Amino acid sequence: MSAVSVFGLSKSFGHLRVLKDIHLPIETGDFTVLLGPSGCGKSTLLNAIAGLEDTDAGIVEIDGADVTHREPSKRGIAMVFQSYALYPTMSVRKNLSFGLRVRSVPRQEVARRVHWAAKLLQIDELLDRKPSQLSGGQRQRVAIGRALVQQAKVFLFDEPLSNLDAKLRTEMRVELKRLHKDLGATIVYVTHDQIEAMTLATRIAVMRAGRIEQYATPDDLYEEPATLFVAAFVGSPAMNFMPGRLISSTVHIGSARLPLNGYRFRSSPMNGQEVVLGIRPEHVQLAPEGQLEAETLFMEPMGADTLGWFQFGEHRLSARLVPQVARGLSGTVRLSLLADHVSLFDPSTEARL
Amino acid sequence: MTTARRNVRIGRIGLYTLLVWICLFFSIPLLVVISTSLKTSDEVRTFSIFTLPAAPSLAAWIKAWSSACTGLNCGGVRVGFLNSVRILIPSVFVSVMAGAVTGYALSHWRIRGANAIMLLLLICAFIPYQVILYPLVKTFSTIGIYSSLPCIIAVHVIFGLPVMSLLFRNFYAGLPEELVKAARIDGAGFWRIFAFVMLPMSVNILIVATILQTTGIWNDYLLGLIFAGRDNMPMTAQLNAIATTSTGVIEYNVNTAAALLTALPPLIVYFVSGRYFVRGITAGAVKG
Ligand SMILES: Nc1ncnc2c1ncn2[C@@H]1O[C@H](COP(=O)(O)OP(=O)(O)OP(=O)(O)O)[C@@H](O)[C@H]1O
Ligand SMILES: [Mg+2]
Repeated sequence: MSAVSVFGLSKSFGHLRVLKDIHLPIETGDFTVLLGPSGCGKSTLLNAIAGLEDTDAGIVEIDGADVTHREPSKRGIAMVFQSYALYPTMSVRKNLSFGLRVRSVPRQEVARRVHWAAKLLQIDELLDRKPSQLSGGQRQRVAIGRALVQQAKVFLFDEPLSNLDAKLRTEMRVELKRLHKDLGATIVYVTHDQIEAMTLATRIAVMRAGRIEQYATPDDLYEEPATLFVAAFVGSPAMNFMPGRLISSTVHIGSARLPLNGYRFRSSPMNGQEVVLGIRPEHVQLAPEGQLEAETLFMEPMGADTLGWFQFGEHRLSARLVPQVARGLSGTVRLSLLADHVSLFDPSTEARL
Repeated sequence: MTTARRNVRIGRIGLYTLLVWICLFFSIPLLVVISTSLKTSDEVRTFSIFTLPAAPSLAAWIKAWSSACTGLNCGGVRVGFLNSVRILIPSVFVSVMAGAVTGYALSHWRIRGANAIMLLLLICAFIPYQVILYPLVKTFSTIGIYSSLPCIIAVHVIFGLPVMSLLFRNFYAGLPEELVKAARIDGAGFWRIFAFVMLPMSVNILIVATILQTTGIWNDYLLGLIFAGRDNMPMTAQLNAIATTSTGVIEYNVNTAAALLTALPPLIVYFVSGRYFVRGITAGAVKG
């Protein structure tokens, strides 16, 4: 059974259509990430699931029950906000227990759950402090703790890590992953950081301008992006794109010929169809017998490997190279594109072919 | 460098000169009033208003407080003081709390037509109240509470509400809306969020609002005169009655003492809470 199901959800602010016919089934125990650029409607969708935002059309089900018109507090959810939204006048302990006290949970049970969450998140030392006396990472853990004590069926996170510095963010990412594993809870998580999405998610919904472009596992998303937008948005360094023409299972790009052996077409393309070929930098390799002849432009060292930039005709191509190889590189080189890993898109519909 | 410093010094001198003049301008009348209130009637009559009292005495103050006459009534301004307190406390409490709830509702809850209500409040805040006095009198007469304590309290609340609501709305609009969302998910409703989340954060703005309302309502004369009824005349109205009572000689020393007694409560409020006042106003302006 689905933990959360969204059917045909739409929402407008005045004339601005922020969510357009969203369908999103989320299985119990999933870590689903809503990924997309700023302003695409991620928070609005999360708020709609939480019941904090009225919707124009569509149904939200949680744990099999239609909750479309239920109060947020009656949906069996807990939420962590981007700004943490800790109650500034209450101590950490009061912050954690507020929701339980509102629901008249017995005193002992409140104390037990607060203790449990504080232990789990290692904030038991901080229980008597005010939020203003905490560091960013500590506040963030309190915010998560406030959600945990609810023992909800579904946890909603709205960019909980975006206010942290890079190091703390990496640490918290690991913590979150561990928490998900330990609790086995269903999590819906909003972010515009694709690394966060790739590392945390069991499934990712990529959103763009109020629509879900693709809803798939991180691997599928990375290997077989369903649209040009997803292909460009996911992956760092970004995918290379080159326009070409498909003639009898071979892509012609300028003078280069790239035979496609075993490409899994989703539709049957016409012979001579225009295509956009996408290939990730790690699938572009230096090879003496490569299909493309390109000029070396410059190298971007990234630590473990180096991103090499090359000019092929009027296109720029990047390739992930071993640093030792990259260091000595200059002049004209031959590049080979791994045919097993290319993606083809229809330039007019932007959909995967 | 040195010219710059000299310019700064000249600027300072100019500034302080101006401040001294302003102080004198405002304090000389005050000093005259204080000195007059400490004189005897004879002294007031024979010497200029600028001579200091020969033997300062509080006799005039005592008379003003407990036995000065308004018409046939000789109970001093004490009666008016008690009336003012009885008007003040409920009026301030109700108008401040009502303003806080309205401001909170307008800023953090999606209310149909919230913008229209805001505009209306803004307009109300600037309507000269003389314009609506007569309709108000009519309305209160019709519902039968005209000229009573509830009537004057209601009037003060009505006239205070627009400004109070705007003040609180602006303060609450500066607080993150995620706080309210978090509390809603925690299961708290409109009133519980107000009482347990918003009010504890509003201490400074509550003090500001209380000061504004306290001084405004205490200093009110016109509304008290019209709506309070004879038995509930506020101190200001009574002060006027004492000063204009025309039997016998005019006792300027008693009148000035009565005036000072009337002005004292707002002054005390300012002295005690000036610090909070400044803090509260900036707290509204700068978030956090
Ligand atoms: N209360 C509102 N009134 C009007 N428009 C709104 C409101 N809230 C959001 N919007 C608009 O809806 C769109 C989606 O907003 P939303 O907050 O869901 O974006 P987001 O994907 O969460 O972006 P971000 O990554 O920046 O948080 C934006 O264009 C935003 O301007
Ligand atoms: Mg957002």
